[in-house]
Amino acid sequence: MIGIKEVTLTYKDGTTALKDINLEIGTGELVYITGPSGSGKTSLLKLLMGIEYPTEGEVFVLGQKIAREEKRKIRKLRRNIGPVFQDFRLIKGRTALENVMMGIRLLGFPPGKMRTEAINALEKVGLGHKCSSPVENLSWGESQRVAIARAIVRKPALILADEPTGNLDHDNAVSILNLLTSLKDRNTTVLITTHATHLIENHNEAVFVRMEGGRITLEQGGRSK
Amino acid sequence: MKAVLFNLGYFMKEAYKTIRLNLLSNIFSFIGTVLIFFIFALVITGWNISGRLVSMLKEEAEISAYFDDYNLDEDGKAGLLKRIEETEGVLEVNLVSREEAYTRMENVLGNEAGILELFDDNPFEEYIEIRIHLDETERITDSIKNIPGIEYVRDNREILSRIEGMVKTLNMAVYLVTAAVGITTVIIISHMIRQGIYENRFQINTLQLLGASNSFINFPFLIAGFLMVLGGGILASVLIVIAINMGFGQLSGTIPFIPLPPRNELIEHVVVVIMAASAVLGLGGSIFGLSSIKEDTEH
Repeated sequence: MIGIKEVTLTYKDGTTALKDINLEIGTGELVYITGPSGSGKTSLLKLLMGIEYPTEGEVFVLGQKIAREEKRKIRKLRRNIGPVFQDFRLIKGRTALENVMMGIRLLGFPPGKMRTEAINALEKVGLGHKCSSPVENLSWGESQRVAIARAIVRKPALILADEPTGNLDHDNAVSILNLLTSLKDRNTTVLITTHATHLIENHNEAVFVRMEGGRITLEQGGRSK
Repeated sequence: MKAVLFNLGYFMKEAYKTIRLNLLSNIFSFIGTVLIFFIFALVITGWNISGRLVSMLKEEAEISAYFDDYNLDEDGKAGLLKRIEETEGVLEVNLVSREEAYTRMENVLGNEAGILELFDDNPFEEYIEIRIHLDETERITDSIKNIPGIEYVRDNREILSRIEGMVKTLNMAVYLVTAAVGITTVIIISHMIRQGIYENRFQINTLQLLGASNSFINFPFLIAGFLMVLGGGILASVLIVIAINMGFGQLSGTIPFIPLPPRNELIEHVVVVIMAASAVLGLGGSIFGLSSIKEDTEH
């Protein structure tokens, strides 16, 4: 599913965000990547999304090599990924339903089915009643749910969630994590970055990867090494 | 392809939103496009009318051959006519008698024809009227000059060459205006698309992260650019139809001798040219605009 071999990522300004990273993630796994701010969690997700390319080493996601010369194929790869961005990346001036539909517009669904699937996804995240609400009228937690609905509506093979509980109150954060972890049951690989370790302590079925200073310092749980 | 077909409604909505996003700027772009196409339509109309005028003049091109009509009998005149008729490039030969020449001048002078009464005798000579191919004027004139019995050949080469010069200038103007219309339209649409992409950069970036192809992202901008220029072409066509109808009314009243083409034929020709040009430039301008900014937004 995901293979990261000896990967180093250095940005143009010379900052090394990831150093000698090795990680294997199988299908249907739930992976939590934890660590303090600046530890490289988001950089790792950017690599997996093909937003950044490894300076050294190799990254494979769903069989696709992540490299600058593979840009076109990476775009196609992203159609199998359900991304949940830290800043949600919802389109202002559009309703919650329109934003969720944006997740499947490019997958070739007929208009009627597209709408039904989007409504179902919103209902799944508990926002069935907010379909026609403009996203700027939604609360922080509701916006996060819409972003998750946009990710799951595509029935992706891989969900990448970057700090989905950031800035949420305890109850909302727990609810969002439960929602994301429940997706694992469908044989979808779920990878979540978070620094809220107290919220995931009881998720025994998950793989925990701890990062510090751009390196993986701990990998345990699931198929612990 | 399926994704494009199933999202046609979405693309149209996005195109509409792109136009609305910079409404004032796009209204001015639209007005600019209409005016450019209207000027283009005016030039095409003028070109069409002048082209018809020239082709009619070419068809009507005539030279006149004079001979010693006092010393040539009827057989001699008939022989001259036959020899001229046999000259290559001559379309028609006609003997104009002194009386007919007088009557023609009376018709030309109209109310001023009284001046001819000052002459005691008919001052006009008998001559041969020869209709020819304009392009061969020089060769035919030289051939006829060499026919024994012909004293003098008069042609209208100077006037015709002036008209041809005017037509060449007009042709040049048409080429320049066509180039100006093309370049200006492409710049206007390219600018509009650049602005639209800048305003929608967040949405475009999100779509790229969700895996949308460039063609999927570009399609609404392509539609917006195409519709703007096509709309400009349609409005310019309406304006030129009004202008032609008004112009025909005035020209036929004040300058009746100008050989105007049939009104509907002229309108049809100009509208087809404007609509085709607007469709091609709308599409071409949008593609150019999108290709010039592709690298800016690539993610």
